[in-house]
Amino acid sequence: MRDLIDIWVGLQTWIFETAVGPVLFEFGLMAWYEPGYNAVEFVMLGVVQIVVIAVGMRFFERRWPLEKSGKDDRLILVDQIYTLLNKLGIVPLAIFVVTYPLVQEIELAVRAWGFAPPRLERILPWLGDNALASFLLYFVLYDFAAYWLHRAQHAFPWWWALHSLHHSQRRMTVWTDDRNHVVDDLLITLALVLFSQLVGVQPGEYVIILMIGRLVESWSHANVDMNFGWLGNRLLVGPRFHRLHHALASPEERHIQDHNFAPVFPIWDILFGTAIYDTRNRPTGVADPAVDNDNDRGWIAQQITVFWRFARALTPKIRRATAL
Amino acid sequence: MRKLVFAAIALAMGAGEAARADAVLVLNSDEASYSILSRSSRIELARYPVGREPHHVIVTPDGKEMLIGSTVTNELLGLDIKTGERTRVVKDVIDPYHMGFSPNGKWFVTAAYRLDHVDIFHADGYRLAGRIFIDGLPSHIAFDAESKTVFVTLQQSGRLAAFDLQTQTLKWNVPVGNAPAGIVMLPDNKRLLVALTGEDGIVVVDPKDGGVQSTLQTGKGAHNFWPQGDGRLYFLSNRVEGTISLIDTTEMKVVGNVRVPGGPDCMAITPDGKELWVTQRFLRRVAVIDIEQLRVVASIPVGKSPHGVFMLQSGAAGPARGPVRAASTAEDQK
Repeated sequence: MRDLIDIWVGLQTWIFETAVGPVLFEFGLMAWYEPGYNAVEFVMLGVVQIVVIAVGMRFFERRWPLEKSGKDDRLILVDQIYTLLNKLGIVPLAIFVVTYPLVQEIELAVRAWGFAPPRLERILPWLGDNALASFLLYFVLYDFAAYWLHRAQHAFPWWWALHSLHHSQRRMTVWTDDRNHVVDDLLITLALVLFSQLVGVQPGEYVIILMIGRLVESWSHANVDMNFGWLGNRLLVGPRFHRLHHALASPEERHIQDHNFAPVFPIWDILFGTAIYDTRNRPTGVADPAVDNDNDRGWIAQQITVFWRFARALTPKIRRATAL
Repeated sequence: MRKLVFAAIALAMGAGEAARADAVLVLNSDEASYSILSRSSRIELARYPVGREPHHVIVTPDGKEMLIGSTVTNELLGLDIKTGERTRVVKDVIDPYHMGFSPNGKWFVTAAYRLDHVDIFHADGYRLAGRIFIDGLPSHIAFDAESKTVFVTLQQSGRLAAFDLQTQTLKWNVPVGNAPAGIVMLPDNKRLLVALTGEDGIVVVDPKDGGVQSTLQTGKGAHNFWPQGDGRLYFLSNRVEGTISLIDTTEMKVVGNVRVPGGPDCMAITPDGKELWVTQRFLRRVAVIDIEQLRVVASIPVGKSPHGVFMLQSGAAGPARGPVRAASTAEDQK
């Protein structure tokens, strides 16, 4: 195990000391020195995730597909671009640059009022002595927050305007998870980082939670016809469970997408009454033709169009003017 | 190998004074733990949990405890300096990144790197005397010999600030160079050395007004100091360059260099004075340097992002003699 760590850390250090650290030094950005080192690891983990998706998960998609190949296969390309931009850290870097100072300012303001956020260890002191239990508890809490944020994405019209991009795909595959508008990503990241700081998630833990969580989410979007048994389907979100959340609404099931929100642990849907377990095959996508048109666009065009959709939803005046 | 490890653990943790004197504590800042290493066997013996993001460790003025500052959980963990056993937790010390006691033991000061403030406590009971909000990432601290002033480097703004301890007010705040970090007061009490992490060396600063008296080139990313012997010689870690420089402060020149890859940071010298132990932040290791030969003789695996390093005291050490200053000063080890 130590040999693997040495190889991993050795590579990370070599990349950082050769390419990233000297650039930060030359441009006077030494305050970003440690975050820069962590960013290298984030990109390396992204490469690992891409390999896991492209080799491992794609194997299952090819072997046991739920939805057969068709004319919409070409639409997957843009989702692959989303995955590369996200996993290789390009979108997360931009988001980090925006959120980091913002989060710092918020925390500074809170501290100036004399309030120190409570950490879980204060309530459960034994957690401090049990790294695995602590990690799992933080993971569960993180997923709980992500569940409610996901519900908010569907509940608020302005947020749905952004999030609908994620749902507009007609071919749901392992590449679909990262198909999000950057503003949507920004809002979610900001909320989750603030939540993580509030409960006291360690930055290193945050990266691992994020990586495991996003891998599970990539898997839950997979076009795979696999069943993990009654218990398995209730312990971890799988492709069938999450596919229902992406199902195309029909007159009989107009609010089908308001179910199965959980990112990793289905327990939240079970507890809050939003879980549906059935084996019916449904097409995925959105009924709204204006949103469905996202599919004919590339990455840049999608980002522009959806931002306009978001702005209109956010500003009633613009919406009315457009309607006229 | 397993037998060797068990024997070493038994030796070091078996409570014998000689064994305890053999132990080294390393703070794994990115995984909320500290490692106990064996100096003689050069292996990690055990790893214990501690509050989140522990960065530095210091000794209390009575010499009985070492205090680990956990910056995210806002607390100090006290460990018995002889046995390593937990003694107490001091809560509500906000973001104690770097910290130290004034030489007279009356004041306890913390620099909140993440949250831009400096806290001055009455050391007796850790009662907050004053919190000073100051922009620019308060990084490292040092005191004057009279315990009247604390000096704080501001890494982001490139400035050095001085605060009056009694009144908790700013005396001056002046630019000294790019990304100042480690700082020490030399024994003559007339010169401050400030490491410039954004440049390739250090500056000598007048403690009266912060005026820069001279500069010395050492290596890119000059970061932190550790004194050798009487304080005439200082080791300096150069994080970007990946070296440790040995500086003669009498003549203000570099008298030696040793390559230490992986972002070398905090240092400590073994009680026999023969070895310098350096945390390698990026490589998750601690390098052991033979001081006489100025070469790395070992590199020991520890946890993620090892930062502070501390030589546990033998039972014979007794109360600390003389001033006990910030984490990165020689007196902590006496």
